[in-house]
Amino acid sequence: MKLPRLPRRKVLKAAIAFGVLGATGSIVALVRSRGYEVPEGVRGKLVGLEAWQYVVVQHLARRVCAADEPGVVTPDEADVAGFVDSYVANMAPRMRRDLGRFLGVIEQLAPAGLAMSSRFTHLEAADQDKVLGSLESSSSELLRGGFEGLKGLLFMGYYRDARTWRIIGYDGPRVEARP
Amino acid sequence: MTVVRGRDLRGDVVLDVDAVVVGTGAGGSIAMRELARAGLKVVALEEGGYLRAPDFDQREDHMLPLLFQDGGGRTTEDLGIRVLGGRGVGGSTVHNTNLCKRTPDAILDLWARKYGVEGASMADLEPSFASIEKDLSVSEIAADDINPNNDALRRGALALGWKGAVLRHNRIGCQKSGFCELGCAYDAKQNALKVVVPQALAAGADLYSDVDVRRILVERGAAVGVEAIAHDGVGSAKRPVARVRVRAKVVVLAGSAVGSAALARRSGLPDPHARLGRGLRMHPGGVVAGRFDAAILAHRGIPQSYECTEMLSYEEGSDRRVWIVPAFAHPIGTAAMLPGFGAAHMRSMRAYGHLAVLTAMVHDETSGEVDVDSDGEPVIRYRMTEPDRVQLAKGLVACARILLAAGAREVTIPAVPPVRVTTARELDALDTSFVRPHSVPLSAVHPMGTLAMGKDPRMSVVSSTGEHHQVKGLFALDGSLFPTSLGGPPQISIYAFALHLAKHAVAAAKR
Repeated sequence: MKLPRLPRRKVLKAAIAFGVLGATGSIVALVRSRGYEVPEGVRGKLVGLEAWQYVVVQHLARRVCAADEPGVVTPDEADVAGFVDSYVANMAPRMRRDLGRFLGVIEQLAPAGLAMSSRFTHLEAADQDKVLGSLESSSSELLRGGFEGLKGLLFMGYYRDARTWRIIGYDGPRVEARP
Repeated sequence: MTVVRGRDLRGDVVLDVDAVVVGTGAGGSIAMRELARAGLKVVALEEGGYLRAPDFDQREDHMLPLLFQDGGGRTTEDLGIRVLGGRGVGGSTVHNTNLCKRTPDAILDLWARKYGVEGASMADLEPSFASIEKDLSVSEIAADDINPNNDALRRGALALGWKGAVLRHNRIGCQKSGFCELGCAYDAKQNALKVVVPQALAAGADLYSDVDVRRILVERGAAVGVEAIAHDGVGSAKRPVARVRVRAKVVVLAGSAVGSAALARRSGLPDPHARLGRGLRMHPGGVVAGRFDAAILAHRGIPQSYECTEMLSYEEGSDRRVWIVPAFAHPIGTAAMLPGFGAAHMRSMRAYGHLAVLTAMVHDETSGEVDVDSDGEPVIRYRMTEPDRVQLAKGLVACARILLAAGAREVTIPAVPPVRVTTARELDALDTSFVRPHSVPLSAVHPMGTLAMGKDPRMSVVSSTGEHHQVKGLFALDGSLFPTSLGGPPQISIYAFALHLAKHAVAAAKR
């Protein structure tokens, strides 16, 4: 049985739209790639992300993982962006390219979609949350799907840190109990 | 027997054997064993690494990239469904939850009646099922080993008067650590990695891991071997280190319904009736979480030991096509499953130890497709049909009813926006249109059906013997064989069908 024609066309259109958006986002990001402060010791050591992408991931992690939670390990302390950098380095080229484009969309186009004039990393935390909320509930299936995938990656970076396990009452690996 | 890891190769390799097996999961391991036991010279090529129990450190961030395709990040083309497939020696049997259910009679009858599958009645398959169940030490899970998450399903189903049963598994010496999906550090899983591959090696088969087969070689209408790239086996990245070319009289595809179909497609096999890669089923499923006052600690113990089959019928076109089992994860998987982000998400995560989670998997009739992109990598197209969408919605609501009946304080269906209920009455009023494409996170762990077997080449890719209709000597012996969804865990069916059909590959190699 062949796949229904209409959904395939819609998917194709969405993919093209996403590709155009992503490409635009990448171009704008390249043009506006100055002003990204990568911590000393990180610049020059990135293996999967570009400097501006690293900064976007850092900002995203701060809002997605444990935002505004006092007394818990922060995404910066868990080095979520550093983890994503190394994880991305091992991704298939196509996935890596798509992720880079999506970061460009979040940084440049998603705020504009909410009539915000600044890039994501220059927004106040509350506005950043509005941008992320708009992605999560977007009418674009690809934006919603992309955000879910990105969330998973950020949470992998955060909850791989054993200090986060105590927050949620997880007792961690038990291999030491091997008979 | 020889075991070679890709990173150990120092130059290109050319092999001349009777049979080459692509993939070493449930189907591939059986194929290599049976071919070797028949006295044939056989080599198996595995895309992933050769990891053993001491390598499984129970950390999600370490094991996901090693044991899953694309580091666990593989999705359908439209990003709507996460598709989890295994990589590495043992395939998905390394990270599955060891459920052992035979192919339902009604499914076998349907395959015979509608798809012309011959010689595959339960009577025909009985010796193969019995043999593999003995090899894998299949037994019923002990009542004492039902953890609180599974017990929530059992109690809820009983309270509602719904059908359910304790499941069977293939474990010996289980430590109940709960880390099955990250590989068993205690070697308690009686799977392809621990049982069948060693049997194959003992029978004389050779094994190359970290070797990615890129093309099936066909000459004058017959398979004559494969071409592959060996890589260094680090994470998901493929850093090529050598070329591997194998000449063989028989090629067995056993790289899963995704991997086998992608290989067949990028090899440009004849496909006169446009069936290759089509007919993909994969049991797409969503989850529902219930928060209990009492600690559940669902991450400990055997992850899946009880099933609810109240909404599961194997009759074609049935309006009851949902299989319900528990689904719990370690923190990374749980965090990805829960809705929202930031402080609200952290509040949900703080309830981790008090969450019970169930999944509703659709015994799907949607027909998806595995294609390849310009790099030859798999592209999975799957757009859920309206009847399947309705089934999924009904299944998620049923999971919510079970959790409430079991005493959950609050139940969350992680849709956009999330559905949160505290009473069954709220479920009665729920409009199931909350399940739309991309509105609930979906996963699929059982790809099937892209090289379906059958009598009629216009409806199938391989014959009832597993041999390709147009390419002699090319066999499919994995989940890609199945013409429809199974409606349950496929591993025992894959092992049994591979065992049942391997004699035809043996005969072809001896031709």
